[in-house]
Amino acid sequence: MSCIRSLVAASFLASVGFSTAVTAQEMISDTTARKQPLTTWGVQFEEFEYRYSDDGEELGVWNADAFYGTDDFKVRLLTTGEYEVEEQAYETLENQLVGQIPISKFFDAKAGVRFDTPEGPDRTYAVLGVAGLAPQWFEVDANLYVSDEGETSAELDAEYELLLTNYWILAATLDATVAFSEDREIGVGKGLVSTEVGLRLRYDLVDRAFSPYVGVVHERKYGDTADLAETGGGSTEDWFAVIGARIAF
Amino acid sequence: MNASKLFVAGMALSMSATAFAAGAHDGGHGHGATSGEPGKASEASRTVTVEMYDNYYEPEEISVKPGETVRFVVENKGNLVHEFSVGTPDMHEAHQEKMMMMVEHGVIQGGKLNHDMMNMDMGNGHSMKHDDPNSVLLEPGQSKEVVWKFSDKGNIEFACNVPGHYQAGMYGEVNFE
Amino acid sequence: MKPRFLTGLLSLLMPAMVLAGEYDLTVDRVKIDTGDFVKEGIGYNGASPGPVMRFKEGENVRINVTNNLDEITSIHWHGLILPFNQDGVPGISFPGIKPGETFTYEFPIQQAGTYWFHSHSGFQEPDGAYGAIVIEPEKREPFRYDREYVVQLTDKHPHSGDRIMRNLKMMPDYYNREQQTVGEFFSDASENGLMNTVRDRMAWGDMRMMKADVEDLQGFTGLINGKGPDQNWTGLFEPGERIRLRFINSSAMTYFDIRIPGLDMTVVQADGNNVQPVSVDEFRIGVAETYDVIVRPKDEQAYTIFAESMGRSGYARATLAPEEGMEAAVPQLREAARLTMADMGGMPGMDHGSMAGMDHGNMDMDSSEDMSGMDHSSMEGMDHSNMDSMDHSNMEGMDHGSMAMGKGGQSDPFYAKGSGLVPTAANGGKFLSYADLKAQDPLYEDREPTREIELRLTGNMERYTWSINGVKYEDADPIRLKYGERVRFKFVNETMMTHPMHLHGMWSILDVGAGQWNPIKHTINVNPGTTVYMETEVDAPGQWAFHCHLSYHAAAGMFRKVIIEGGPDSTQAKTDVIAEDGGEA
Repeated sequence: MSCIRSLVAASFLASVGFSTAVTAQEMISDTTARKQPLTTWGVQFEEFEYRYSDDGEELGVWNADAFYGTDDFKVRLLTTGEYEVEEQAYETLENQLVGQIPISKFFDAKAGVRFDTPEGPDRTYAVLGVAGLAPQWFEVDANLYVSDEGETSAELDAEYELLLTNYWILAATLDATVAFSEDREIGVGKGLVSTEVGLRLRYDLVDRAFSPYVGVVHERKYGDTADLAETGGGSTEDWFAVIGARIAF
Repeated sequence: MNASKLFVAGMALSMSATAFAAGAHDGGHGHGATSGEPGKASEASRTVTVEMYDNYYEPEEISVKPGETVRFVVENKGNLVHEFSVGTPDMHEAHQEKMMMMVEHGVIQGGKLNHDMMNMDMGNGHSMKHDDPNSVLLEPGQSKEVVWKFSDKGNIEFACNVPGHYQAGMYGEVNFE
Repeated sequence: MKPRFLTGLLSLLMPAMVLAGEYDLTVDRVKIDTGDFVKEGIGYNGASPGPVMRFKEGENVRINVTNNLDEITSIHWHGLILPFNQDGVPGISFPGIKPGETFTYEFPIQQAGTYWFHSHSGFQEPDGAYGAIVIEPEKREPFRYDREYVVQLTDKHPHSGDRIMRNLKMMPDYYNREQQTVGEFFSDASENGLMNTVRDRMAWGDMRMMKADVEDLQGFTGLINGKGPDQNWTGLFEPGERIRLRFINSSAMTYFDIRIPGLDMTVVQADGNNVQPVSVDEFRIGVAETYDVIVRPKDEQAYTIFAESMGRSGYARATLAPEEGMEAAVPQLREAARLTMADMGGMPGMDHGSMAGMDHGNMDMDSSEDMSGMDHSSMEGMDHSNMDSMDHSNMEGMDHGSMAMGKGGQSDPFYAKGSGLVPTAANGGKFLSYADLKAQDPLYEDREPTREIELRLTGNMERYTWSINGVKYEDADPIRLKYGERVRFKFVNETMMTHPMHLHGMWSILDVGAGQWNPIKHTINVNPGTTVYMETEVDAPGQWAFHCHLSYHAAAGMFRKVIIEGGPDSTQAKTDVIAEDGGEA
């Protein structure tokens, strides 16, 4: 019977009007995910390729990064490596862990550590850098490295994409490294160390997730670094034909 | 100044006069023999009050006998300018173009009529006066009469040709018994 | 069953009780087949779109919503005037509907027309959780028709909403395949000259903005009533009938330009409110807007309802035919839309000289009913010597030279002067503009607003963050309004995208310069580089959501909570914080 009574009460309230419902209601605060900063993550292999040099050298190369975070702070893991197929050794193996924050409309600042563990001596560096989109659509990434032994160097990476069509994209890359102090042990001389220039033609096969490409890469060492390389029996200039895929997810 | 106004008035009168001759010309206002002709109030067999609302008529249909003369008292009970016009669907379509021009020139402005604009001489003796005998254009609250003789059976509607109103359903059917 | 029987019995015994309708909705995982692809999504009562909810003006409705998902859900009744705790926005109206829970909405229906409903949790709406609402009026409508159809559009994408958001944050042009290419450079150069083209590219490159940035999300399949172009939703008719088409844009991100080749459309309702009828050949429907049109096909043939996306990357289509299986020609998509420097006019620090966005508050538009589509060539025959009787003072506001002229010479005061987005009808006829909308029966008396609030629509395309006054929802204070005031909102669009701004719970009276005849809407589109005004009578106590209805913009921060202080009962509106369970919003 209390069932009927509550129904009568409910019906009476309903017929009186619904404004009374508002007095009974407290206004809640928003504790949903919408009120929290949006967290995103991503993984990208800008380079994932096979390189074949004019000397017959074969390399497996990757250049990837993963990030996790919000607009205001992201944690990034950057990894790059060059694997010499014949020698079964890593010519280059660098892993960076940085924190990144926005500093202007188009640029971020980052700071972190870099661990180099290739064939040969290992190095650890502190990283300080700036990355973003420069006018006329140049993607730039400039970094300053300070090793645990006090050696300093800097790297500038730039990329430009030309849309041949909305699916065929020609990407030009330039990586330049400058050392402010020499590090003979790992074959780095003072001054301009090396440049790597690449031209890759890619086709977006699956959205932006899988884009195979072919291209050409030119690597060159300069000055003291070139001398050190020659004495070591290595080359100072190489041309590579490359084939690979850009992967993102 | 006065001469040209007289001239305009004269042209307007003569155009209306031509309209009195049933079936005399079918251009412009298209008064064909099919829709009937202006009637004399004394011959009216009955008076029908048609109320205009936004955007519909009450009643939405009337029944007449061929040859009957009906006196329509049209009242605008809406908030917008409306028309009551008797004719065939083709006539209404042609008339809608003229009404569109009246709106574009600011003669019809939602709920009011710009009478000065209506009298403006458009050149060639045409004006945007709305003075055909088969229709009235009323502002909200206004009331006017149309006396019409339904000579022959035909596909006749009374309609409001203010742009968009006819398409929205502001028309009524004239059914012949 | 027993409680319902008792309620029924009571409604017989208590004449004071009004008409009541009870409805059941379940929120389910469903399979969505667009004809191009099949995807798992979310629907109501086992399907997407959900059922058409048919209410009657004046009835009290009870809607029992059962959540069969494994995450929190909600249903927001878009455009409906109701108590704030029935509005269905988790975190603002109520905590949300937990998995397995059944929540009962109860509110009176205080309006009539075409509306829609959708989830307000996460990206459930783009994933398929939407449906239509048709409310029958108490009194007769100011228009007539013989039959009616709901025509509900959406932009269904093969990716889920979460994935799209992540991709856009990673790469803002992830889904844009209409970007300018080398080929376009050469064709522009041959048309406009090499130096002009180089300068143009460099000007945009300097800003790091793309003139191709019209649609964030491309690659979708346009659906009408859940059917893709190949599946071809068909509405039958008998020649000569007047058909009412209830167009609803339930898209996540896409504006559609709608036309029916061969048929004139007479717009009679916008956002559920009657407007003075205006016949057009084509109209643009923004996200979350509704337009009701009347068409009258006279011939025994099929007609294509063609909805072309604003950026021309995709389309939806349906058919009106006397018989099933009939089809009419489907038009080709037009050229991709391109922004111009005029669309950048709203950005601070950008001195574009005469390209500044038009300040519509100062435009005197009372002198002419319908400015767009004016055939100036027909004025030749006018004998202007007799024009002294004309009141020229009314014509000041009409600066024909400064009206935004699109490619076809069409002008629309709601686009920046020289905008690349000004729509033109494909057949050269009349394209609907906001300036053509006038209320048929104004809901409120026209009065002076009590204050003005400026809301700058802002964002950073590269970072894909969107905000109001430069502040994202997560960092923003609520907007506080007082019950009983009339607020004039000034939207200043400092971005180069269109934003459909939706205020929950209260009407937005769009200022088209028509005074008391200003149209009443719930979603107001603000074009790039323009300033749009709308006024709200603050008559709904509680707290409400106010946001851009582009799904991924709202999620990226273009959102606000509006708190109404005061109300009919002064003990109401305690703003005590009550921590409720968090979860997906």
